[in-house]
Amino acid sequence: MTEHRHHLPANDAGTAALQALDLPVALADAATGTILLENARFFQVFPSTGEVPEALATRLPFLDPETFRERLASGRTVTVETEVAVGARTRIIALDLRQIEHGERPAWLLQGRDLTKQKEAEYMLDSYAKLAEKNARELTREKERVEKLLLNIMPKTVYQELREFGTTTPHKFDQASILMLDFVGFTEMAVARDPATTIAELNDIFMALDRIAELFGCERIKTIGDAYLAVSGIPDSNPDHPQNIAKLALRARRYLERRNQAHPTAWRCRIGIHTGPVIGSLVGLQKYVYDVFGPAVNMAARLEQEALPMQILTCAATAGLIGDDFRFSEVGERELKGFGTKRIMALEAERAG
Amino acid sequence: MKQSIFERHGGFAQIRRIVSAFYDRVLDEPILARHFAGLNMAKLIDHQAKFITQVTGGPAAFTDEQLQRAHSRLGITMREFALMADLLVETLEDFALPADDIAAVDQAFRQRETFIVARRD
Repeated sequence: MTEHRHHLPANDAGTAALQALDLPVALADAATGTILLENARFFQVFPSTGEVPEALATRLPFLDPETFRERLASGRTVTVETEVAVGARTRIIALDLRQIEHGERPAWLLQGRDLTKQKEAEYMLDSYAKLAEKNARELTREKERVEKLLLNIMPKTVYQELREFGTTTPHKFDQASILMLDFVGFTEMAVARDPATTIAELNDIFMALDRIAELFGCERIKTIGDAYLAVSGIPDSNPDHPQNIAKLALRARRYLERRNQAHPTAWRCRIGIHTGPVIGSLVGLQKYVYDVFGPAVNMAARLEQEALPMQILTCAATAGLIGDDFRFSEVGERELKGFGTKRIMALEAERAG
Repeated sequence: MKQSIFERHGGFAQIRRIVSAFYDRVLDEPILARHFAGLNMAKLIDHQAKFITQVTGGPAAFTDEQLQRAHSRLGITMREFALMADLLVETLEDFALPADDIAAVDQAFRQRETFIVARRD
């Protein structure tokens, strides 16, 4: 082709094929931006406004030739994507532009590709990916919530065992320390005062005890009504368990003293601590709970029952294990149900330094 | 747990073909196409993908309130809703889904009519 033509002769076989082509194709003068020729599809996709001469700038307003003029002149291809309305449909067309010689003048050849189906699949994939990610996030949150709940009722290592093997086996801990605490006159408090307030205060105190327990390497096993049972050395063995439980007992008592000074209602506790062998196990199938068993647990409970308000009792043997860093006072011999006569000591304080 | 229709028919890999075919059908209906005319394609496809996923029991779960909020200002008529249901059934038939699955999807779709349709004419 050696001359510029806006209309193509119908008898030109090549041009007829071009016109029948389903993809939009056009040729524009590089210097002026005038469309030199175009096929039917191009005319349909990028409709004419009847301007003379037909300019690229008005037909394809999304195209800014100045941004790629140099690239085209250097022989490279530029691809521009655009959404166009074809009838009721939105179609996504990628236009490839490259520069060719047309009658000794540089011209731009524009070839369109219909990316609609490909884009459709991409958008759909985006949609599903977002849905899947949203669901995955929700699942993760749910899993964390469940994990948190389970960690409330069993130690972490037991939870890990349960998660990994679907079951747990009871473990015997040869040496562990137990603390048993309950409140003086709790039943009367709950009846005499507003029960909701009483329970709320109990809850606050238990949460404080949990924090103290964690601070000293102890773990709360359960609460039964107003009683609080914590251990040290279960499920991870720890050589400092007698000292840990002694520190928890002293701190718990001090916390209550401080609290009572600041509140109209006084909460007074009794505490028993004891060291000995303990069995730890998950109990129950549907409503399971991690619990501890053994004479050491019963002994701590008996000692707690013997204690005066705000007193921490233990037996001489445990006092010996807790050691010289703590100060004890002699309480005397007591008959403890199921354990015979025992020499009882009251834990007073941790020695400074 | 019973598998959903979404899972039984190939999950995303297969369902995306159904979405694509359904989308073609919907846009070929002038009275439905008017609702989608102004939307960009990403939004439209997003709508269709979530819609098909939801009615086949896939990983999209919109509450009735969410559906109502999303459609309240579109002025969708009962006739349009019914046409949409017919096109969905036709599409699923073309993909040779078993009749009881198609019936289940159709029912899941029609159940939500009160949350989608704004005008009873």
